Amino acid sequence: MKKSNLLFNKKNLICIFTILVLMISTELKTEEQIETKIKNISLQLRCMTCQNQSIYDSEADFSIDIKKIIKKLINEGKTEKEIIEFMVDRYGEYISFRPMMNKKNIFLWLFPFVLFAISLIFLTLHLKNNKNA
Amino acid sequence: MVSIIGFLFLCLSIITNLFVVFANIINFFKLSFNKIIFISRFATIFILLSFLTLIFAYIISDFSNYNVFQNSHSSKPILYKISGAWGNHEGSMLMWITIMSIYSFIFSFVKKIDESLKFKTIFFQSILFILFSFYLVFVSNPFLANNVNVSDGLGLNPVLQDPALAIHPPALYLGYVGYSLIFSFAIAGIVEKKINNEWFRVLKNWSLFCWSMLTLGIGLGCYWAYYELGWGGWWFWDPVENVSLMPWIAGLALVHSLFISKGEQVLTKWIVFLSILCFSLSIFGTFLVRSGILTSVHSFASDPSRGLFILLIFFLITGFGLTIFLLKMPEDKKSIKLLLLNKTSSLIINNIIMIIACLTILLGTIYPIIIEVLTDTRISVGGPYFNSTVLPIMLPGFLLMSIAPSLSWQTNKLKNYKYYSLVLISLSVLIVFISIFTYLNPWLFIGLFLGSWIILASLIAIIFIEKKSFKLKFLKNINAYIAHIGVGILIIGITFSSLLKEENDFSLNVGEEISFANSIILFEEITVESKNNFQKLRGKFIIKKNDINFAQIEAGKNYYHVSKTITTEAGIYHDWFKDIYILLGGQENEKWSIKIYNNPLVSLIWIGIFIMVISGLLGVTKK
Repeated sequence: MKKSNLLFNKKNLICIFTILVLMISTELKTEEQIETKIKNISLQLRCMTCQNQSIYDSEADFSIDIKKIIKKLINEGKTEKEIIEFMVDRYGEYISFRPMMNKKNIFLWLFPFVLFAISLIFLTLHLKNNKNA
Repeated sequence: MVSIIGFLFLCLSIITNLFVVFANIINFFKLSFNKIIFISRFATIFILLSFLTLIFAYIISDFSNYNVFQNSHSSKPILYKISGAWGNHEGSMLMWITIMSIYSFIFSFVKKIDESLKFKTIFFQSILFILFSFYLVFVSNPFLANNVNVSDGLGLNPVLQDPALAIHPPALYLGYVGYSLIFSFAIAGIVEKKINNEWFRVLKNWSLFCWSMLTLGIGLGCYWAYYELGWGGWWFWDPVENVSLMPWIAGLALVHSLFISKGEQVLTKWIVFLSILCFSLSIFGTFLVRSGILTSVHSFASDPSRGLFILLIFFLITGFGLTIFLLKMPEDKKSIKLLLLNKTSSLIINNIIMIIACLTILLGTIYPIIIEVLTDTRISVGGPYFNSTVLPIMLPGFLLMSIAPSLSWQTNKLKNYKYYSLVLISLSVLIVFISIFTYLNPWLFIGLFLGSWIILASLIAIIFIEKKSFKLKFLKNINAYIAHIGVGILIIGITFSSLLKEENDFSLNVGEEISFANSIILFEEITVESKNNFQKLRGKFIIKKNDINFAQIEAGKNYYHVSKTITTEAGIYHDWFKDIYILLGGQENEKWSIKIYNNPLVSLIWIGIFIMVISGLLGVTKK
């Protein structure tokens, strides 16, 4: 009697139940997480057979295949960055809606912020000048 | 026959405009300004007749006209026969020059303008008209005859057979082409050295009108993309969308600069420069779209010679404008007073931000072309780039616009600042609380905060205006605040609809029910119906809440037999708080694949844009 009590007392039961629930919920959560991950990645990729549509939004065969590949890669434990790099290697930079940070795109990425910084400096100088006057 | 008449009117219009130009250079008939202006009005009447002739050819389905044959079909509904006239490249270019001419026609009736200024404006407008009409005659003539005898046409692209898209191009062109008048008027002002209060007033009214029309055109385009493309969104950072956004932002900067200079005649150089820039960007946009250089949803039949021709016009006009600008640079009469923070400095900061945003969009749009030419690799610059560059740069501008209209011109004090800080603090506390108790990501937080702060700050400003009334005159006085409230509403709408969008794919049998976004959606039936020029496949869905059927929507596809294309017709249930957006996909093993979106607060986007347009138009009539 005592033995079984030890194993099946209330505390233990609750513990087991919570662990089970947690396990199921984490299982569910990972499924959901994978979906959001696929969404995040496929939104950044261009459907190569459509007109300016992302893989996520597109229902073309090409996009459906790519979505499957993304899912496979996520399950293999690849990160978002790795997956996008994989796609770029395979299909070229054209597939990525976010231009790569490399030598030829450095101007594209820096231009707005440099312009912003310059005008900020220019403004602060001018605002001061007027205050002194 | 109809085409010949149309072409004849086009030629008459060109000849009249040529006459107006030559009469200005060598006036051998010794005509007075008024007479020449009177003659120039005939050019407008001729081109209008020419355009109406084209529309008439579309209405009667005159397939001896090549353009009608290419883009129309006798079974089309009458509305789309008419809108088909501008639903193609050649027809839309004819509309372009018609609108250009109408602008100078209406302008010629404006009173209280110095005569020589008015005359010079119409002179430049005629030159622009001639340039574009040559383009029309030589590379995109809508009046070409059809060599073969045909019984029917090839049909209009089905996605264009839509009421919003029937009025989208005219509204958009009223904006784009309107900037030609701004350009002519600005150049005329510096050539004639007539930059005075009148010049500022007229420029403000017309640029505000153009900007409002452009806003309306872009808004209609977004609305069309939302329900016709069936991608669940309304803005895709598509090159063609970017191209319309550039003159829009430049025009916005122009309108704001004109507010600073109201009665003060400052920033003249900057204003003239912006006037030139707006039209240049409009033409450049046209070049990008029509040359087929960019991949985009808007695939006009494109041809390199057309692109080259527009590029030539672009360089001619921009080069001419900038040369005149540099040679006869106007001087400011007064220097401006920049303080941290008065109305002038905040408007200038906003101007700078808008121009940076505009240049960033320009760079992002043409960068793939530059890279392809230089390195022979293709790259894409899409949404992620613009979202992570343009949006952060715009943030300070949005923050500033909330209080800018209530700042003072002379001092750096803000009237009633106590109320502003009180509201700002309570708003922050409220939103922090909301974000603790619900899930708010940083962008949602920023968007909600900015949007509601802009609305509240503008409301405070309106509340503290003395002499309130509900008369139109009062509304005109507060139009800047109203416009800003519109922007605030728009920001909230954009933030919620893009960040809290829910979507789900289902695979359903007819008669099945699913629960989605607090309601139950019943897939009731599938119907197939034959219409005049298309076949209609519709799935009927009933939305239930607490066992009450409260809405019924139809989503499906249309099959157009003439062009053998299928269009997606999204079914949208629309209320103030959310849109339930259903797309019917294909059928597999008796089950239909169905995509359902829950787009919260989309209605705020349309309301915001509408408010902006209305307040812009209110401002036009303001003295």
